Amino acid sequence: MTTTTPPAGIRTPLIPPSTHPYAEVIHRLEAGGSMLPDTPENLQQIIGIYKAYAVPMDFYWRDLLYIAEQVFLNPLPAFKYFISQEYLDRPNSYAGDQSQLRIWRGGEKAHPELLAFMERGETRRMPKLLHHLWHDRVNMEFAEACMRAMLWHQGMGGRFNDYLESEAYRANADRAIKAYFRGNPLMLGLYALFPEMFLEQVRQLSTTANLGLFWEVMAPVFFEMSDLYDEGQLTSVPQAMDFLVNGIFAVAGRPIYHHVFIRGECFEIIPMSEGFTWLYEAALPYVEAVFYRTSPFRGTKSYNAQAGQVPADQADFHYGILYADVFPVGSAGIPPTLLMQDMLHFLPPYLQELYREHRRGEEDQLVQLGITFQRSMYNVTSAVIQALRCALLYPLDDTDPKHLLANRQFFEAQMDRFLRPEARLPDIQSQDYR
Amino acid sequence: MATILETAAAVGCFNTLLAAVDAAGLRGALEGPGPFTVLAPVDEAFAALPPGTLQTLVDNPPQLARILKYHVIAGAHSRAALCAQPEWPSLEGAPIPIRSTDPFEVKNATVVTADVACDNGVVHVINRVILPG
Amino acid sequence: MTLLLLLLLPLVAGLVLPLLPQSRPLLVRGVAAATALTQLVVGLVAWRQPPADLSLTWLPRLGLSLDLGLDGLSLPMVLLAGLITAMAVLASPADQSRPRLYFALMLATNLGVVGAFLARNALLFVLAFELVLIPTTLLVAIWGGERRAGAAVRFLLFGAVSGLSLLGGVLAFGWFGQGASGADSAVSFSFEALAATPLPPSAQMLVLGLLLLGFGIKLPIVPVHGWQPISYAEAPAPVVMLLGGVVSKLGAYGLLRFGVGLLPDAWSAFSPWIAAAGAVSAVYGALNAVVATDIRRLMAYSSLGHMGLLVLALAAATPMSLQGAVAQVLAHGLIVALLFDCVGLIQRKTGTTAIAELSGLLNPIRGLPFTMGLMLLALMAAAGIPGLAGFPAELLVFEGSWTVFPRATLICLVASGFTAVYAVRLFNRVAFGRLDNNRADWQSTRLSERLPAVVLTTLVVLAGIWPVGLTAWSEASTAAIALRHSDPVVHHLALAPTSPSLSLPA
Repeated sequence: MTTTTPPAGIRTPLIPPSTHPYAEVIHRLEAGGSMLPDTPENLQQIIGIYKAYAVPMDFYWRDLLYIAEQVFLNPLPAFKYFISQEYLDRPNSYAGDQSQLRIWRGGEKAHPELLAFMERGETRRMPKLLHHLWHDRVNMEFAEACMRAMLWHQGMGGRFNDYLESEAYRANADRAIKAYFRGNPLMLGLYALFPEMFLEQVRQLSTTANLGLFWEVMAPVFFEMSDLYDEGQLTSVPQAMDFLVNGIFAVAGRPIYHHVFIRGECFEIIPMSEGFTWLYEAALPYVEAVFYRTSPFRGTKSYNAQAGQVPADQADFHYGILYADVFPVGSAGIPPTLLMQDMLHFLPPYLQELYREHRRGEEDQLVQLGITFQRSMYNVTSAVIQALRCALLYPLDDTDPKHLLANRQFFEAQMDRFLRPEARLPDIQSQDYR
Repeated sequence: MATILETAAAVGCFNTLLAAVDAAGLRGALEGPGPFTVLAPVDEAFAALPPGTLQTLVDNPPQLARILKYHVIAGAHSRAALCAQPEWPSLEGAPIPIRSTDPFEVKNATVVTADVACDNGVVHVINRVILPG
Repeated sequence: MTLLLLLLLPLVAGLVLPLLPQSRPLLVRGVAAATALTQLVVGLVAWRQPPADLSLTWLPRLGLSLDLGLDGLSLPMVLLAGLITAMAVLASPADQSRPRLYFALMLATNLGVVGAFLARNALLFVLAFELVLIPTTLLVAIWGGERRAGAAVRFLLFGAVSGLSLLGGVLAFGWFGQGASGADSAVSFSFEALAATPLPPSAQMLVLGLLLLGFGIKLPIVPVHGWQPISYAEAPAPVVMLLGGVVSKLGAYGLLRFGVGLLPDAWSAFSPWIAAAGAVSAVYGALNAVVATDIRRLMAYSSLGHMGLLVLALAAATPMSLQGAVAQVLAHGLIVALLFDCVGLIQRKTGTTAIAELSGLLNPIRGLPFTMGLMLLALMAAAGIPGLAGFPAELLVFEGSWTVFPRATLICLVASGFTAVYAVRLFNRVAFGRLDNNRADWQSTRLSERLPAVVLTTLVVLAGIWPVGLTAWSEASTAAIALRHSDPVVHHLALAPTSPSLSLPA
């Protein structure tokens, strides 16, 4: 069950070549490669952007957990992005000396670059509130948009959403709600009148915790990849992909849960004992909801749902980063733009240099890094596809033609999702797409 | 005859599986009257999982139990019985597809030895850990 | 002396430019721009300190003398000419090919146009008018687009007909008027002399017919507009700024000066037909613009439509409509220059002006947001949105003409409404939608490239919120030559203008 072994030597193929429009990509996947072509520049781009992504992600996961566990149902959560020191110092389960499975060799607390940015921002040292109002901060709005996409799409595998509807969940949430609003007759009265509304809020917070736990893993994975690349230990795109595949398996069994702390007491809204796992309840739904589906963003383009421009079936939504038109980036308030803006602050020098050399240089860095991000997410998606193939199907060097055909059908079915014209898979095959 | 776990222990190539069953706290259940059909991955199957996979599961018993339950079907079913139906519900909840009857393949694993009869069920030995999804 | 300076500046600079070293194209450009700007400043000085008319004998036997003067009609035209020339020079690319000849020809065009505006002698006017044709034809022929040869030939043919009929008209004017008096001295073509010898009605009609052909081609107006769309589409954008913003205004000025001013009887008689031609132009231009597939052609037809409004105002010849005509000349001059400046930038960056090939140019990062923003403003100004230069001009035109030619005015109003149609259509296609990644590989506009557009935009906005800036120059002059009065109140005003105005030369 290895993921890395490329076909050994030259051998006669056991199955005929694919006739799929993306046959070239499929053959690459079958040879253990990524959807992203293996070029030094692609490797540099994706590793650089992983690094730039990991720093704000280090804030995202901490704040998401802070919101889900501490802010909880605060009716006026004006300060939910003002994360507490406790959560800034919260040890990452996959970094630092205390971690049982150490993915990143770095420290377990918030990343130093993140802390430096929170201190000064783009502008200058000033009170936190002014940074917040001036929007000179990490854009948590992006993280929440991802969370809403996961909550809204649902039904993407795993048992998380079924549990959100279960009686056990309702009972847990009910206890937490009543405890949270203890001594607040107004909110308790509202809860008595509109229980479903509060329940729905708790569901959203459970999804928030879910995403926070998911990203807690990804940040150290990306940091470690960046460090490995800087040391010259990651030398090709497939290697980068394999690192991700191994990471996915290593943390696949991580519990997904939702604990709330009310006046020091822990309420287990989703207990760890439910057996929810990182892979099934967080990672796969995340990839499906955020990479593939999301929803049409306001401000980029007008869609006419009556004219069928928006699919009737949620499963056909195709507004994620794999399909995104990165050009409208820069318009205010669009979630991807917020992410690009966040990553802009933490670009490694070699990416800044690369962007200066192409197109409009510093002027359109946002677009260039958006396209880089698209490339990198095609690589992450490749890792997910390979991991799924590894978990559910057969090794790439299997000698049974039937097994290879099953792999082939799986890859082709995955590539079918990129047949719609919006998909950027053909674009990222070329280095000229910037 | 012996119970499923006793049989497995006697064979000697299910050390990882037995350790996992203990870690997940499933020993009691599997020693019960059942009957169960257990798809038992050999040690090599666990060893073939990417590094860290098993450790994370062992550290988290509920999650480990869930994966192990995917290898168990309620009732005692022989190879012939299993082959009669395209998929079977596992104790985990997700279905287990029977992909091929000859050779006998359960999901992406191949059955090495079928129909090991025990007191409280049947064991089929497989060469790969199967995962839901 | 000020008057002579206005002419000597482009003349001297135009002669010096080809002598500058070939290795310093930016110097050439700078000298040309400085010349036009200096001319503008001199013009402004002449506005604050009106110079006396100048009269130098030149070819007395032909009746040609260097009679120069500035009045309320010509002053705004001269200022416009100086301004647009400077902007056209600045709008030309920094790496303009063969800059010495190119900028010299631009200055030569300016010389001809300003000469015509300053002339107080009809023959001198004709001479200057003809002078314009040569450099403009060369500019189209040498620096034009793919079909520049065809465009230049057509431009030259129409220009030649225009010049000849104008010459014929002016000569006939002098001979019919003064030849009859049988004076032994040579015929005088000075405006005073022409005004002092009114023509008999039949001769007026002949002369006016010739002048209408001459000036109508220059404006242009349907049905003699054949040169315009192709020339505007093929000539370099800065040259079109000059053609549309300044040269075509020669036609408007000529009609006002000679037609309305010197041939009032024939003008009155012809005016229903002239108004009809204006209305037809407005509708024809607007409809063609609606279906145009190229931005340049769209703007050429748009310009044609706006010339129709101008002609309607001239035909009505009430004090208000004539003010509207002058205002329209200025407003349209600014707007068309701004539009073509933006189009020039679009073409320079994207390499095309075909509407079908462009989209998403308003994209904030990879598009041309600045250029497109200003183009939107210019389109709005052209469509007559209040607060911008087009609105007061069109309002004056419509209000002034309504009492005389209600039907033609109504048609023009509707045609003017179409401006919004094609403006929205153009902007929707070109500015919105998805920007093509493969095409969008260009650098953003530099500050120096933006400068002319910024200046023109400022003036368009200023003129919109301070419309007196468009009208006050010529209030007295246009009132004096108005043929009709739209209503008694205006009539009184026309006789004794009391409304606040800039101090203008008498």
